[in-house]
Amino acid sequence: MRRLWDRLPGPAPVKVVELLVLLAVLLVALFFLFEWAGTFLDSGGVVGP
Amino acid sequence: MGFRKILRRVGWALIGCALLVFAFLAYQLFVTDLLNDRLQAQAMEQLDDELAERRVELPEPEIVEVVEEKTTTTTVVRAELLKESAGEIGSTLGRISIPAIDVDEVMFEGVDTETLKKGPGHMPWTPVPGQPGNAVISGHRTTYGRPFYDLDQLVEGDRIEVETALGTHVFEVRHSIVVKPTDVWVTEDRPGAWLTLTTCHPHFSAAERLIIQAELVEGPNHAYAELVRLHGGGPEQRT
Repeated sequence: MRRLWDRLPGPAPVKVVELLVLLAVLLVALFFLFEWAGTFLDSGGVVGP
Repeated sequence: MGFRKILRRVGWALIGCALLVFAFLAYQLFVTDLLNDRLQAQAMEQLDDELAERRVELPEPEIVEVVEEKTTTTTVVRAELLKESAGEIGSTLGRISIPAIDVDEVMFEGVDTETLKKGPGHMPWTPVPGQPGNAVISGHRTTYGRPFYDLDQLVEGDRIEVETALGTHVFEVRHSIVVKPTDVWVTEDRPGAWLTLTTCHPHFSAAERLIIQAELVEGPNHAYAELVRLHGGGPEQRT
């Protein structure tokens, strides 16, 4: 975590914003990953080709 | 890089994977239920108003002929088909209740991913429940409120009630089968008026489909559907 903080460019307030953006991107990616993986658990039961 | 350092990294990677799997299961099994609960509560509040807006006045049964015989009196009534069509994809279609497994859900038009997150969905290319043919409704088994979780517990004779703008249609379970997800023949039309429920099978897997087929036994179109089933169509039915 500390290493990641050190690697982020800019002063501390900019780093905080960068971290928040990274976190948001990660959460959105996780959401799509979970939604996709969820279709193997339960696709909704539709019958079709 | 030393052996201990590699081992530590592998350990952290495994912990990360475990957390990811845990978060995935928590999202699928709990968060999706919460999302569905909110959507169902909203839909249930608006359901009566929406059905009242689309409500169809049912005609009184028209007596065509009364035949009196020695021991019985036969009344011949006109059996009209009361037509009903579904709304736009994603709109509310009605309510499905299955007392045997405590299901009481608002159902929607469409079987796309977003619609099924709200509740059971009606396949748009099949008739609306209560119309002649085979109306198909699909629903989640283990996520998004799991409306059809206990569908495998239904037995022959269990009742399924579907309320639409036309009225309440009562179906009785005739049989259940497990098929492949591509077995579209289960959605094909049948003589009379049928309701087919489809969901994933077994629990926590989308490998197969559990199919419940039920026949209309009461409702605004029961007389007409029975006539179609027995004689292939016609305007009158003996009661």
